[in-house]
Amino acid sequence: MFFIETEYFCSGKFFLITRNIIVFMVSISFLNPLSPEGKDIVRELGSLEGISEDIPQLRSIVTHNPSQEILDDGEIPSNFLELALKRIEWHIKKKHDREFNGRRYAYLSDDKITKYDVISFYLLCQAIGVKFGPNSRETRVMVESQGDLINERLGKLHADEGRSMVEKSLQMLLADDQVHWTFFEELLSSRKIRLTDLVLDQGELILDQEDFLERFGPKIKHRNPMSMYQLLIGDELKELIMIKLIMQETEDYIKQVHEKAEKMVEPNPILLELAEQVSEVLSEPMQSYGYGSGRGGGGPLKAGPLNNLAFPPCVKKALEGIKSGGRNDAIVLFMTPFVSYARLYPDVFRMNITKRVSDQDPNLEITENEVLPLIYEAAQRCVPPLFDDQPQEKVNINAKLGFGMHSSLNMNHEGETTWYTPMSCEKIKLHLPHLCKPDDVCKKIGNPLSYYNRRIWEVNNLETEGPETPENGDSDNSNKIEASEVQKGTGEDNKSNESTDTTGGSA
Amino acid sequence: MDLKPANPNERRQYYREEWDVKNVPDFILKSLIQREFGFDHMGRGPNDRYRVFKNTDFLRKFMRYRAPFAAYSSVAFYHKPRRRDGWIKAELVFDVDAKDIPIRSCGCENVCEVCLNQAKDIVHGLVDTLKGDLGLSHIHVVYSGRGYHIRILDDLVMGADSDVRTQVVKYLVGSDVPRSEYSSHGMKYNLEHFTIPFGYPQVFTHRVKQALLAVNMDTEIDGVNKNILKAVIKHRDLLKDDQWGIFRKNIGPVRYNKLVKGIASLNLTLVDAKVSIDLKRILRLPSSLHSGVSMISTEIKNLETFDPFQDAVPKFVYERNE
Repeated sequence: MFFIETEYFCSGKFFLITRNIIVFMVSISFLNPLSPEGKDIVRELGSLEGISEDIPQLRSIVTHNPSQEILDDGEIPSNFLELALKRIEWHIKKKHDREFNGRRYAYLSDDKITKYDVISFYLLCQAIGVKFGPNSRETRVMVESQGDLINERLGKLHADEGRSMVEKSLQMLLADDQVHWTFFEELLSSRKIRLTDLVLDQGELILDQEDFLERFGPKIKHRNPMSMYQLLIGDELKELIMIKLIMQETEDYIKQVHEKAEKMVEPNPILLELAEQVSEVLSEPMQSYGYGSGRGGGGPLKAGPLNNLAFPPCVKKALEGIKSGGRNDAIVLFMTPFVSYARLYPDVFRMNITKRVSDQDPNLEITENEVLPLIYEAAQRCVPPLFDDQPQEKVNINAKLGFGMHSSLNMNHEGETTWYTPMSCEKIKLHLPHLCKPDDVCKKIGNPLSYYNRRIWEVNNLETEGPETPENGDSDNSNKIEASEVQKGTGEDNKSNESTDTTGGSA
Repeated sequence: MDLKPANPNERRQYYREEWDVKNVPDFILKSLIQREFGFDHMGRGPNDRYRVFKNTDFLRKFMRYRAPFAAYSSVAFYHKPRRRDGWIKAELVFDVDAKDIPIRSCGCENVCEVCLNQAKDIVHGLVDTLKGDLGLSHIHVVYSGRGYHIRILDDLVMGADSDVRTQVVKYLVGSDVPRSEYSSHGMKYNLEHFTIPFGYPQVFTHRVKQALLAVNMDTEIDGVNKNILKAVIKHRDLLKDDQWGIFRKNIGPVRYNKLVKGIASLNLTLVDAKVSIDLKRILRLPSSLHSGVSMISTEIKNLETFDPFQDAVPKFVYERNE
């Protein structure tokens, strides 16, 4: 299965004659394999037959690259599949390996590999699309790696050449001269770009210099409008938009592959094998250098008693009790998932495996004795105390733990609802802006649970290394949240099965 | 004017004598059968949901006979509004509640003329940005009783998901401090937001100016102490002539950075973001009575001249025997 039929292959190189100098131009497909030129390269290949055969030419390009460092012959990709894996490996190592050496992957920025690189790109997208689908970690990494690679390649190109390639790519990607900001809906929705990054006027994205000068020139005082254009738009914004659009197209392409593959009987075993190998490349750093956790240590993060020293500022504030509106959201939607995951499954985002509460707490003892009491305590510290006027919220707390709309936690009901994962910082800022008082650690994380994991590791490390003992004689145990310290659930649960309607009315 | 609640008799009087179904704006009547309606009969929240009206006559009769405490309709259009199913699209809305303005110059308990005027100024700014920057044109502004709703029906944005709406909210209110470091050809340059007279930096400058002109010594802004507030109050007249450079210098660059960072985070509460990102929200029905304050939710034709205390007061308020 390879989705583009054979057609004539355009050479990877073009010639441009400017001011009587012949300039070799890099193919657009070196940056955007999904461009018509890239598709032509795939058409020329036609099928996957012989895809794993050695390509001496590729080896030769790699070994002849002057910047290339080769420690071991095994590092040299000798076919399309190996090159595909190297693309992913480069991105993962660059991101996570402190000893990463870019010179060992110098060939990835050599435009001579364009023809092979494009094929390896399609192989990756198809393998990941077939096996993992668009909402997988593999897709996310593939899309990120493509963005990363374009950036790297642009950095290595001569400035003029890079600029001209970006212009040309953008012309292809932006169908029209006048682009309304809603054209970027997908990029905005997936937060690949921020609306505030764009320069807008009357709804249109301003990228062109003449357009900029015409619209904003008269408004600019005490500065040269041309240099302002260079600073605010110039190469940087154009590159950003081009890269993000290609990333989005990559994601869309994987999605298309996935949809097509679902209708097919048997996926190609070569693609399935490649998918497995991609997965292995991704799991390697998780074992060797703590992929994605931001922690210094390796290995999985074990669940353990909660330690309030490691709580982020928003959780600390919610624990004090909510005094100004938003009680329900703060307790049910924010605290319930945070406390339960922090106590039972702090690794949820790293593991990327959906679990139930009982997978982590088989007889629900910890949930009943540690998790719920802490949530209830925060609820009762609200003004007015949450359960005094809204006892039905206990049912909603159970629902967010995955136990359906019932007044008590019962294993028979588990799975009727989903165990909600903790709200991201982004969501907290919108739903509960009063809780968000970020400190320095907050700058490095996007979810309060990541904050907790980062801090708990530091706090625990301090404890094992022997922390500074408080002089007032309080042991650091005072920071552990023990069941006995907090109020236990009472029997005043509301029997109602009505859900809290989040789509409330607005005055 | 005393903003006290309307009793059931006053509600009935309003819906029988004063309210007319024709007062419901066209942008709602045109899509009547695709919208869900919700009602609050007892003043305890809109519990009577999933209502649908096949035509204006059914709506007219319902309002006249039930004289609800509050009436709402969905911002969403559905294929099956009775089940809130088959979502087609939703208005993009912004809710500016006078009571929740982050930096209020009045300090009143509920709402008053001063904070309602402040809310109106904020709405002015938001509408300017929606038109000038985002190029939107089907914009309706409604007085809600305690503030304003901005309702946008441009097809370009009605299909947007919550994440896109979040980005629009952030742009509109100025919740991120624009970067001040820019580079070109390997050189770094500093450009403060107020030196850029277009795009998002200009939006941010407008919102910060509005906030700084409203602060008083009791205003709480994260990372901003009383000394900074004192300096702001002392020098803020400079901002009336947009002399930002001198203002920043007088405050001190480090303190200025703290100040704008604090205001940016407060700006997120200029509108109720929950309302904007909710694709199935119900909003107070324009023309209906806000019984909590005895005011009419009114679609505004001219924001410049609109005065809620003239244009949104039901007759029964004038007939009350105090």
